[in-house]
Parts: sequence; structure tokens; C-alpha cells
Amino acid sequence: MTASTLPQRSVLRGIGVLHVAAVLVLAVVPFLLVFAISFGHKVEGAAWVWGFELTNYRRFFVGTDYPDSVSLLYLKYLWYSVWYALVAAILAVATAFPFVWLMTRGSRRAQTVWLVFFLCSLTFSEVFIVMGWDILMSNRSGLPMVFQETGLTDWLKENGGLDLLREWGLATPRNVRFKPSEFATILTLTYLVWPYAVILLYPPISKIEREVVEAARTMGASPFTVVRTVVMPMVRTPLVGAVLLLFVFLLGAYVTIAVFADPSKHTLSISVYEAVRGSTLNAPFGSAQAVVLLLTAAAVLVIGQRFLSAKTGGH
Amino acid sequence: MTTSITRRKLLKTSASVGVLAGTGMLAAPAIAQSRLIKIGSYGGYFEDSLKQHVYPVFTEATGIAVESVTQPDSTSWLQTMSQALSAGNIPADLSMHTPVNIIKAGRLGGILAPIDPGRIASIDNVGESFLSRQGDSLLGVGALSFFYSMVINTDEITEEPSSWADFWDSSRFEASLGLPKSVNFHFLEVVAATFLGGTDALRTHDGIIAAVEKAAELHQNVALWYTGESQMEQALKNFDVVGGMYFHDVAGLMAADGHPVKSIFPREGNVIDFNSWTLAQGSDKQDEAYEFMAFSCQPETQAIMSRMIGTAPVVDAASTGLSGDELAAVTGTPAIHVPYEVYLDDETFINEAWDRMVSQA
Repeated sequence: MTASTLPQRSVLRGIGVLHVAAVLVLAVVPFLLVFAISFGHKVEGAAWVWGFELTNYRRFFVGTDYPDSVSLLYLKYLWYSVWYALVAAILAVATAFPFVWLMTRGSRRAQTVWLVFFLCSLTFSEVFIVMGWDILMSNRSGLPMVFQETGLTDWLKENGGLDLLREWGLATPRNVRFKPSEFATILTLTYLVWPYAVILLYPPISKIEREVVEAARTMGASPFTVVRTVVMPMVRTPLVGAVLLLFVFLLGAYVTIAVFADPSKHTLSISVYEAVRGSTLNAPFGSAQAVVLLLTAAAVLVIGQRFLSAKTGGH
Repeated sequence: MTTSITRRKLLKTSASVGVLAGTGMLAAPAIAQSRLIKIGSYGGYFEDSLKQHVYPVFTEATGIAVESVTQPDSTSWLQTMSQALSAGNIPADLSMHTPVNIIKAGRLGGILAPIDPGRIASIDNVGESFLSRQGDSLLGVGALSFFYSMVINTDEITEEPSSWADFWDSSRFEASLGLPKSVNFHFLEVVAATFLGGTDALRTHDGIIAAVEKAAELHQNVALWYTGESQMEQALKNFDVVGGMYFHDVAGLMAADGHPVKSIFPREGNVIDFNSWTLAQGSDKQDEAYEFMAFSCQPETQAIMSRMIGTAPVVDAASTGLSGDELAAVTGTPAIHVPYEVYLDDETFINEAWDRMVSQA
């Protein structure tokens, strides 16, 4: 051991301690605070006080009026949080996969251009993207106007298509209507994370050697069979990993839900915000909802992990 | 147009940005005046209008300079005040608050100082319903009022509704209405006034449930449960909705801008709401504060606010000197009054019952 390594070591140790302290202060303490507040007591008509009661968790599962009545309102919010995030994450990865596959078959230069393009599109915030889709789906400036002006609306009215769309909640007696709807919500959420899906899938897919594919082709496999039996198994882990990552990212989506989802299909992120920042100032109940959402995300991640290790273990 | 929307958005107690809370204090102008008072109000168009049209008149009349303090809204400002006061600071001598938050502050204690009505000569001008009392003490003096009213698109709705009950008719309004998503916009009061014989029905759990169930029958006709005021404005402009509940004065401004929007006072009337001036606990600018409240209670001041900001007067309309058209732009009859205590005593119950209805859970 030379003399110079000792101070180096203590410097490194110091940095390590600082690192741990930073993680504790920035991540663990806020979480513990939220956890502690979730047991607090809400004073009707005032704010809240510290306490230890399970009222907020009970309210989450059966409502405030229990046992006189049972409300599944917050479980419904939770369901829609998971539903939107899962569907949009799967759709994004499923549609990004063929795109990335074709992209990696292109020239180096084309790949670079595409990647730079997607990296740039990441600078758009959720608010900006939602504004764009909002205009695209608005009655007088977007798709419904196109339907109206091209006579498509009248055609739909004549052959009964509009009535069918009305049943699906995608039309009024006057014209088609795309918001609020699950369609618009999931579409926008998918669009929101699509560039991330591309960037997440690019490294593993670009590493697949052309020779492997060519070998399968020369042995008589169709291009579709090659993708299904050769390429997909090679990138299963990144595919599932990307879905899980985007899922967790989308659980917290707020603006999209607030603008495009009908209130009967709102999510916990909206409900948490309304409890904490809305007129009731009910931080304990907001915290309880946040804790449940966090536990749900953790559970989904664990299940995903199990799924992956079971699959790879079977090889 | 956009500016007036911003103002009203901030009049609401919900959904606003608390970060802005302190900015007004940081931007304190260094006015070397012997008498100065800090007055809080909701930032944006509203505060700007007060600074431009109301405070200068007050300063000219009394020699008291006004330092305007930006409040993000009423609810989070109450939090800000509570924290500042316990740290020994007075963020504003006078603040603007909603009736519900004044009752809330009264119960929390230590935030608002009781106001001595004897020191406001002009207080008799103000209607009793605009004075917020906590027991024997007066905590808020009405500053302005406004209406949530029935609005329709005059291009699409040719037969004008004469009652709120018409909105329940699906043959006329299927997937057509825009209603507020928050219970704090008082659509329940409309239901109670229309079907339950008045808003006092909301004072019991059974009454709340009855009103909520009646409102639930509207689902088929509601195209939009709006969370923000600007969302409803856009929906009205885009014909995404062709009727609903919205602010009376903003609907009038939209009509003046050429949009086919009209605010109607149906048989049952529209919901009146108001905001008040409140005095911060421990303020050493009591004299100045009382002078300002007295100024605010004068019919002339109320007329300035009606003309310049679009608020309805809290004093007898006849005394304001506003013309028939000017009055029609800001007010109407009959008025549906809000039982504010319900939003406190049954806060969690009424919120969850309403949210369940909106969410169909």
C-alpha cells in the first residue's frame, strides 16, 4: 500500500457517505413523510393534524360513509390508473418494435437521423403534446370538422354509423366526438411514451446480427417467422423491461387524463391532486392514495420480474 | 377574453399554483409614503384590474398607498397566511377569501382578526348575506359577488330553456351539456333549488344524496365535466357543448366577442357566490384596513368594480347608479344562495358523494 492511496480512499469514502446522505434526504425522507402523513387525521371543515389512524386507508377501499354504504370510487380510480398505463405502455412497445426493427435494417446515416429526431421530440412536455391532440380532436378545428366538411358525418348519419358511435360514446347527435374518451386518452398516452419506447428498444435490437437473420432466411423461414421465432426471443427481456418502465412512467400521468378522460374514468393521480391541493386540503387522504399507488406499481414490477425470470429460467 | 378567464380561474379555490403565493411580497415596491397597506387579491386579470381601477381611487381619496399582494387563490393563501403568521410575519393586512374559507379560518383560529362593524360607517350598505360571522364576531366583509348561471349556444338551441329541469330532457340535450366537475361550483344547489324545494335540503345527508341522485340522471346529457374554467370556455366556443353552467359575466363577454353564447336566468334562478375582505390577525394597519373596507362598501366603488371587472355589487343595485344594461351584464334574479356550512360540516361526505356520482362509481 502506497502513501497516496490512503487519502484517496478516504475521499472516495467521503463521497460515498455524501451519496448515501443525498439519497436519504432526497428520496427516502419525502417518502417517509408521505407515509407518516397518510395516517393523519382530517378535521372536517379545517385542515388536518398528525395522528395515527387507518381511516384514510379504510376510505380508500370502502369509502367515507362505511359501514352505512360502501364506495369503490378510489379502487375504480386505481383500476383506471393501471389500465391506461398498461394498455398505453404495451401499445407503445408493440408499435415501436416493428418500427425499430425496420429502422435498424436501414443505413447507419438513416438510423442516426431517426434517433436524433426522437431525442428532439423528447423535449416536448406532456402539456404541449396534450394541447396538440386537444386541437386535433376539437369539434371546430380538428377531426370532427373534417368529418363534417367532407360529408363523412352525413354519410354516417344515413347508414346508422353515427348511432353506433353514439353508443360507444364517440359521437353526439350532431357529429362525431373524440373527447373525452378512452380512445383519446390511450392514444395520447401512447404517443407520449412512443419516443421512449423507440430509444429503449434501439440498443438491444440493433445488436442483433444480420447473419443470424440471414441464416434463418436461408433455412427457409419467412420474414414473419424469423421475427417471431428468432428475433423476439432474443429481445424478450428488453421488451418486457420497456413495458414495465413506461408503465411506471404513465401511472403518474396527469394532464392527459385531466383533459381527455371522462371523470367517470379518472385516475388516482387526479384524485391525489384534488385531495392535497384542492379545496379540502386533505393531505392525509392524498398521501394514503399515493402510498397505495406506489405499492401497486411495486407489485406490478415484481410480477413482471417473476415473469421474466420464469421465462429465462425455462431455457 | 383570455385575461378575464384567468381572473375567474383564480377566483376559484381549487386547482391553482401555490408557488406563486409569495411573489407579491417579494415584489414589494419601495414607496416612501407615511401610510401604506398591503392588500391581497387573486393574481392575474383580477389583481391587475384592482391595481388599475380601484386602488388609485382609494389612494387619491385617503392618501393611503396600497401595496398589492398576489394571492394564488383563497385556500392555499389561507395555508400561507397560517404559516407566515405563526412565524411572525403578516403577508397582507387585508386578504380576499371565499365564505367557506372564512368559516374554516374561524375554526382554525389565529389567522383572521374580528372586524368591528362600528368602525365601517358604510357597512350598512352591504347585504347581510354578504357578511361572514363566526359567532358574534364579524370575520369577512363582502367585496364582490358573481353568478354561476345557465348558458346555452344560441345557434344550436333555438328553444330557450325556461327551467333548469329542461336540461334533464335527453330529447333536447343528449351529450350536449358542460357542467363543473367540482362540487365547489355549486351545481348541487341548482338541483336542490329545482327539485328539492330549495338549497336548505342540502343540510342533511339524505338531502345531499337525493340531490346527487337527481344529478346522476344527467349523465346521458353531459358531454363535458369541466375541471378548469378555460376548458368550458373552449368547449362552448368549439360547440363541443351547447349548454351548461358557467359564469354569467364571462358568458356575456364571450357573447360580446361574437360567440353564440347566452346566459339565462331560468325560473329557479342562478347560483350567487361572493368573496370577502378579511383582516389578518396581528396587523398593525388596522386604521388603514378599516378605511379601505369602508371604501369598498361604498356604492360608487362597487359600481367601478362592476364596470371594470364584471363583478356583481354586494350593495343595493339601485344605489350604484349602474344602468340597466350594465346591471344585466353582471347580475340577475332570482338568486340561489349557497348553504356554505354544509361544505364544512359535511365536507368529506358531500365531496365523496358528488365525486361518486360524477365517476359513476
